[in-house]
Amino acid sequence: MKKILTLVLFLGIVSAISGLVLGYVNSVTEPLIQEAAIKAEKANLELMYPGADFTPVGDKYVDGSTILGIYEADGQGYIFKLWGKGYSSSGITILVGFDYDGTIQKLVPLEQQETNGFGAENFKDDAINSLYIGKTLDQDVDLRSGSTVTSKAMQGMIAAAKAVFPELG
Amino acid sequence: MWKNFKNGLIKENPVFGLYLGMCSTLAISSAIDSAIGMSLCVIIVLILSNCIISAMRKIIPDEIRIPVYIVIIASLVTIVEMLVHAFMPELYVSLGAFLSLIVVNCIILGRAEAFANKNGILASAIDGLGMGLGYTIAIVGLAIVREFLSTMGLVFHNPFDASQEIFKIAIPALEPYKISFFSTSVGAFLAFACFAALFAKLRSNSSKKEVK
Repeated sequence: MKKILTLVLFLGIVSAISGLVLGYVNSVTEPLIQEAAIKAEKANLELMYPGADFTPVGDKYVDGSTILGIYEADGQGYIFKLWGKGYSSSGITILVGFDYDGTIQKLVPLEQQETNGFGAENFKDDAINSLYIGKTLDQDVDLRSGSTVTSKAMQGMIAAAKAVFPELG
Repeated sequence: MWKNFKNGLIKENPVFGLYLGMCSTLAISSAIDSAIGMSLCVIIVLILSNCIISAMRKIIPDEIRIPVYIVIIASLVTIVEMLVHAFMPELYVSLGAFLSLIVVNCIILGRAEAFANKNGILASAIDGLGMGLGYTIAIVGLAIVREFLSTMGLVFHNPFDASQEIFKIAIPALEPYKISFFSTSVGAFLAFACFAALFAKLRSNSSKKEVK
């Protein structure tokens, strides 16, 4: 019995010491990692509003599955980073920029591998302009024939952003 | 002590002599950038874990030595991982899961069990350095061959700032003959087999000498 206790105690002490060391290193590196992540994200955000100042907002709405991030572009509006499941296995990641009234101003696909000639047509400039740009909070996003799966995913992503939008600011 | 150090390089090279840590060797050796970064991390973890375990070898109860080793190794790897993430973000991305998988790299636990818990701190540190360099020779050697054959050139970036090239060799004349197959996992196995044969030959030569 005494033997077992010594073993447990020893392992406990070793784990506690390493926990302390890890905690310390983490407290040193964490801010640097955060900073680098924001910097990497900024390169993407610059695609939307070049030269604007970006601040992360609405952390509690970021769920990591559909809404990957929300940023305020100073003086321009809000940018949502969204993910949705389309036809390809890796899904679609887009940035959508709303002005302060909730009208979609910009939409940039960051990653998408939808089928060429079908789903991928959704991300051509004229499709983006006719389907998404200029839609207000009350207007629904239409489906695009020939790429139902992809445009349904887009509909879902934009609906998720719209549901959160009134809570911001 | 010099013999311990030299052992790890060729005769008991961890990858081509003992066939340990092959998973990361095959996966990471497609480019020299990540190969050099990976071997640096392995050397650091190996030396530190050997030193700490050797320093504690008299007080670690025998029954729970493996769990204690694992706690020590896992903490060291996590520290290295956090530092790499903070200071070399590009390397962190290119190593991906293999950085945290150093924890289960058999070379490290193997050296702790086979060497560090029986020898002094200095000897263990030298063993760690020798084994780490043996791993480096294996993975960087493979990476040089594979990167050269698949791109007909070699590029090495500063790990702290990926936009800075430390050296670059490119042979445009050979460009059309590049074999991009060597950057895939099949190419990794092929190159690995050739290296393993070469090391086996070196080993048998040196053991013949000893017999004489």
